[in-house]
Amino acid sequence: MTAVARASETPAPASPAADIKTDRIALQTFADHCIAAVEAMAFTLMRTAHSTFVKETEDFTCALLTPDGATFACPRTMGTTWLFGLDYGPAIKMIADYEEGDVCITNDPYSGSVATHTPDIHIWKPIFIDGDLVCFVAGHIHNTDIGGAVPASLSRTLTEIQQEGICIPPSKLVSRGVLNEDIVKILRANVRVPKQNWGDLNAQIASVAIGERKIKDVIARFGLPQFKQGIEDMLSYAHAKAQEVVRTIPDGQYFHAEYADEDSDGGLPCRIAITLTIKDGSLVLDYTGSDPQLTSSLNMPTGGREQHALTMVGLGYVLYTLDKTLLMNSGVYRVGRAILPRGSVVHAVAPAAVGMRSLTCIVTQLGTFGAFAKAIPERLGASPAGGNALMFVRTLDIEGRTIMASVGPLGGGAGGGPSADGTDGAGASSAYLKNTPIEISESEIPIRFKEYGLAPDSGGAGLWRGGAGLVMEFEVFAPHTIITARNRDRSMYGCWGLKGGYAGALSSFILNPQSPEPKQLGNRDVVTLQPGDVIRTIGPGAGGWGDPLDRDPEQVALDVAGGLVSAEQARAAYGVVLSGDSVDLPATRALRAQSRRKRPLFDYGPTRTAYEEVWNEERYRALTRVLTHTAITWRHWVKNQVFAAVAAGRHADAGETEQISRIYEDLTQRFPRLRTIEPSAH
Amino acid sequence: MSSCALACREPVARSVEAESNGSIPGGNVGYRVGVDIGGSFTDFAVMDEADGSVHALKVFSRPDRPGEEVLEGMQQIGSRYGISPAEISYFTHGTTVGVNSVLQRKGLKLALFVTEGFRDVLEVARLRTTDMFDLLATRPAPLITRDRVFPISERIDADGTELTPVSEASVAAAVTAAKAKGCEGIVVSLLHSYRHAGHEKIVRDICARLAPELPVFLSSEVWPIVREYERTITSTVSGYVQPRVAHYLGSLQTALKNVGVVPELKVTKSNGGVMSAEQGKGNCIQMILSGTASGVIGASFIASAAKVAKAMSLDIGGTSADVAMIFDGTPQYGVGERIGDFNIFIPSVSVSSVGQGGGSIAWVDKLGVLKVGPESAGSNPGPVCYGRGGTRPTVTDSFVVCGLIGSQDLGYNAVKIDAEAARRAIEPLADELGVTVERTAEAIQSLCISGMYSGVSGLVSRFGIDPREFTLIAFGGAGPMLGPMLAREVGMREVLVPPTPGVLSALGGLVADLKSDFIRTIYTELNARAMPAIAEAFADLEATGRRWLREEQGFTGEPHITYAGDLRYGGQSYEIETIFDPEWLKAGGDLAAITDGFHVRHEQLFGHADRHAGVQVINLRLVIAGQTPRPSLPLQARAMSAAEPKLTIRAWIEGEWHDVPLYMRADLTFGHTFSGPAVVAQPDCTTVVPHGCHVRVDEIGNLRISIGAGGVQ
Repeated sequence: MTAVARASETPAPASPAADIKTDRIALQTFADHCIAAVEAMAFTLMRTAHSTFVKETEDFTCALLTPDGATFACPRTMGTTWLFGLDYGPAIKMIADYEEGDVCITNDPYSGSVATHTPDIHIWKPIFIDGDLVCFVAGHIHNTDIGGAVPASLSRTLTEIQQEGICIPPSKLVSRGVLNEDIVKILRANVRVPKQNWGDLNAQIASVAIGERKIKDVIARFGLPQFKQGIEDMLSYAHAKAQEVVRTIPDGQYFHAEYADEDSDGGLPCRIAITLTIKDGSLVLDYTGSDPQLTSSLNMPTGGREQHALTMVGLGYVLYTLDKTLLMNSGVYRVGRAILPRGSVVHAVAPAAVGMRSLTCIVTQLGTFGAFAKAIPERLGASPAGGNALMFVRTLDIEGRTIMASVGPLGGGAGGGPSADGTDGAGASSAYLKNTPIEISESEIPIRFKEYGLAPDSGGAGLWRGGAGLVMEFEVFAPHTIITARNRDRSMYGCWGLKGGYAGALSSFILNPQSPEPKQLGNRDVVTLQPGDVIRTIGPGAGGWGDPLDRDPEQVALDVAGGLVSAEQARAAYGVVLSGDSVDLPATRALRAQSRRKRPLFDYGPTRTAYEEVWNEERYRALTRVLTHTAITWRHWVKNQVFAAVAAGRHADAGETEQISRIYEDLTQRFPRLRTIEPSAH
Repeated sequence: MSSCALACREPVARSVEAESNGSIPGGNVGYRVGVDIGGSFTDFAVMDEADGSVHALKVFSRPDRPGEEVLEGMQQIGSRYGISPAEISYFTHGTTVGVNSVLQRKGLKLALFVTEGFRDVLEVARLRTTDMFDLLATRPAPLITRDRVFPISERIDADGTELTPVSEASVAAAVTAAKAKGCEGIVVSLLHSYRHAGHEKIVRDICARLAPELPVFLSSEVWPIVREYERTITSTVSGYVQPRVAHYLGSLQTALKNVGVVPELKVTKSNGGVMSAEQGKGNCIQMILSGTASGVIGASFIASAAKVAKAMSLDIGGTSADVAMIFDGTPQYGVGERIGDFNIFIPSVSVSSVGQGGGSIAWVDKLGVLKVGPESAGSNPGPVCYGRGGTRPTVTDSFVVCGLIGSQDLGYNAVKIDAEAARRAIEPLADELGVTVERTAEAIQSLCISGMYSGVSGLVSRFGIDPREFTLIAFGGAGPMLGPMLAREVGMREVLVPPTPGVLSALGGLVADLKSDFIRTIYTELNARAMPAIAEAFADLEATGRRWLREEQGFTGEPHITYAGDLRYGGQSYEIETIFDPEWLKAGGDLAAITDGFHVRHEQLFGHADRHAGVQVINLRLVIAGQTPRPSLPLQARAMSAAEPKLTIRAWIEGEWHDVPLYMRADLTFGHTFSGPAVVAQPDCTTVVPHGCHVRVDEIGNLRISIGAGGVQ
């Protein structure tokens, strides 16, 4: 079963359901016990961890792994939604020999493709029964800091993995019960708050110890042969359930591209292209056409592994949304495989920086939603907000001590769906984030809020409205107050509307909005403020679903009365005429009849529509082709050069494909080295 | 209807009962009555103050005419036990009327007045939604929609100083708008009002002038905590349920008075205490979880009477299985308990849902895998075997198919078991699974147990406890049926089934103390400079508490006072309640002791403490309790002969049919012992004792079931 699912030519065997050997009246009972074991690990981790990432944002995972490293059980409601189903196989194989009492560790994104950026420390522990290695228990914690060029180790501006802190390739942290003090010493010497990492590491060790005890209880209860069969069956069952879901989607090929506003500080758009092929209950997500590996830290270190969790997050969301009874383990991902071209932003090679792969991962999620929405627009929602900025304020108190506090996330809501408005302010793929109360922030740091709430007219209009973005405005009272807004995005390219729904409003980031000269900060993610400065952030609105002219006018009136939609937007987008608080029905009917136009399946908003007038599919395809023949280290530079040449109108008279070829030809003329470099393997 | 086995002589002291005789408000020696109104039945516990004996009684609930069942019960108490209303000296009541009002969305149409710029406090909440993988998940509709939220121009700073005074014009505009929208009440929740309540009071004064007909609820009075969403939702829920709760309590007061019950009606509170109904009418949030809390208080009382130091209560009803932790006879308290779609943030007895209930429905998915829940037949239509319109097989039906229930009357003759119907309902599942009906039924039970096992296992890990040290106190209709099997899975060594598991909640109300919580947010670094403020705040809280107990509740004895603080390390975003030894607060306060107390508590909860890190005090809390006299559970006389089963039934247990002895609960008394497999029947529930378990009846009539390999204790 395992071997078949991994084979690259056929993503799925004919019927994983037929592989289930465990008595079907007992399978769920067995699964309950395994899940209880892994949840015990998660509770222990949450209880004993030191860093706020674990306790507040739940940026951790716990997993039970087959001897091959496939996740067969993970907690139902704890931990990050992003990394469930990570394949530990390659990392596991990098350790030569396992013995009872070992614990292994890695945070190296380029060894074993388990860690996806350096702050994530993963550990795994082999479980032996009478000398037989029967499974692993594993997990990770996002450490607040792991050293490197900047505090917290993450910045879009970093260009090499070495700037992102210390890397530990797969190693034995504990060997036969004895801690490898050298690893700990080296780790401690390289990080900013060693005590916290050490505390978190201990929590992780405690967590896998609990996992070992619990899983041995499960084995004792069900018997070893039944356990070995049961864990394979849990994967087959998850796979079979997922396959059932995929079978409800029409076979075919669906293409969708998604953009982040910038591929580096102030850079060009970063594109994720996905061709989704669905055939008979299995699927392929082909990322060919996505941007090249970048000289910023937006790269995803997937090792090109075709079921890498980081490229499958969107798929997990979609399948669960379509069937909430899915058993969530890596078996779900066996319905699909991803094609991840080497040297692209979704399969970066060393030494590319990867710290902010989160921003790119969000774009891959939205891209996956888009591809599926093309297949089944009547069953999925429009684009959720994306670009949730994680806002931190760093300042000094009167005694000169550093204070740092999270005031974000500042993003937006869910897209309108087939039968309901998108949730406002948060939801869909950002539903796991939690905010900080205004009263706590004001008590902890010298800032004062002027506004916090929902941004009117931000949610995309639709039969079902997109969720509104959040708005936050505050004034700072200490010199050199640094605001970081990690993952800020969507100030140029909005969230798409679906089935006639409108795209959501853009996000914005403004310095001193009330002053005579307000300053637009665009996608900047670090800004330094002085006393009296006011910062205003508006999150992106999510896309609307369905033609807004079909929305119940009373619903529109209610949104207007609630201040979420202006009377102007009610008229312009919804064709609803109000007189006072109530609907003028005859006028509304007339206006709607006159406004009705055929609306596109996807509304990408004005910026993207204009952008794709130039950077259409043909140009992108040509660019992808020339980049494939370019050395990886040159690719981002070449991309910049080609974009500049197109913008300057170079070879504008040639056809789109030809234009790109000629521009590339020009480049090789100027830099003959480009030509002499061996094209990299695809 | 049985007079229950709680008849009594010797008092058993609870750990918190330093003195065994608090003064009884109302004075006279007579009968104390506790009433708990559930979905199907209304339970009564009647205690004779002369000897401490307790009678139990059940009547049908009357959701159509709430209050009626209480009068019906009073009549039966008269006819059965010859107790007249005039002899009743104390009357407590637990009710779910507040919760139901939120569940059914039948509350007051409220307006919310907030600080300008922060209109979306309820909409945005804390952002996080519950089903994190579901892209189409929706939020529950707010209790106050955005068009009924109005800005007030005013601002208080985090330290409580005024930045912008209240603009009277903005209040007037808000009142006008609220009235135009047809609002029936106003919740006022302004930023930092936990520090400085003045602005909210000014707003109330203006409202009283402009719209005297509208009730006004201030967040600084309902529960003045820091964190604007938590404070606002708590006061919103309080205002929302207020008219229904007040009306309900008012009618009950009148009805009781009319039948001649003299003492003032008391209601059980979410915090496990009681207060006067009069106060409950104004401060509804305090009693919203009164029903749930009473059951746990009843279980706690049993735990201490049975000298069980570490207990977990398991209450399994129709739709869910709920667990609470009880240490030394005291339940665990928490904030953030769920009411329908919302969490509220007042101190409440902490109860966690761990799984499905007896009415949960079994089904087979498309891949042929057996599942139980989350759909439930609840108490209406209920299981198929009840013959009240249920068609889909439930957990209870699986027990009927296995012969474990149905041979004796259930629910005080109110329910007739249709075993054939239960069997017919499970047959299609068995066909799909390709096994016998009995195996299917047993698998449904296993699945129900494994689901609960996951839930309890999570609690065990969250609290970092060792289940082997715990006794499971099983009650509710299905608790004693499933409890022993669950205990075995979890690794608990004992299950305790109280004499009348059905009236534990009613009993809980009887034994609850007059109790109230008081909070003061001081939000400061814990250092020498903070000590005077701490002392002053506690002095204030204590004066308020004593006034409440003496003047509002009429309690004249010496109260029991608990001092506590919600503390945290700087930078943490959650607080840990640390109980302060009164010694630490004497003579200006012992800073080192308080700080150390927090480190110790942190270490207990999380396994580590940072003795060099700065500590913050967010809230100071005071709990004042006026103790009420307990029924003193008597020692039963030791049985003179062995336990005799009433009959032998055929039951499917652990894979085959067995001849299983069936004992009647009423026949069992102190000293009786027997081994599983066995079934114990009583009118309100059935206890199933699996193989390898041993039962003994303890001196107060509890079934003590030792689980697993161990012999009779």
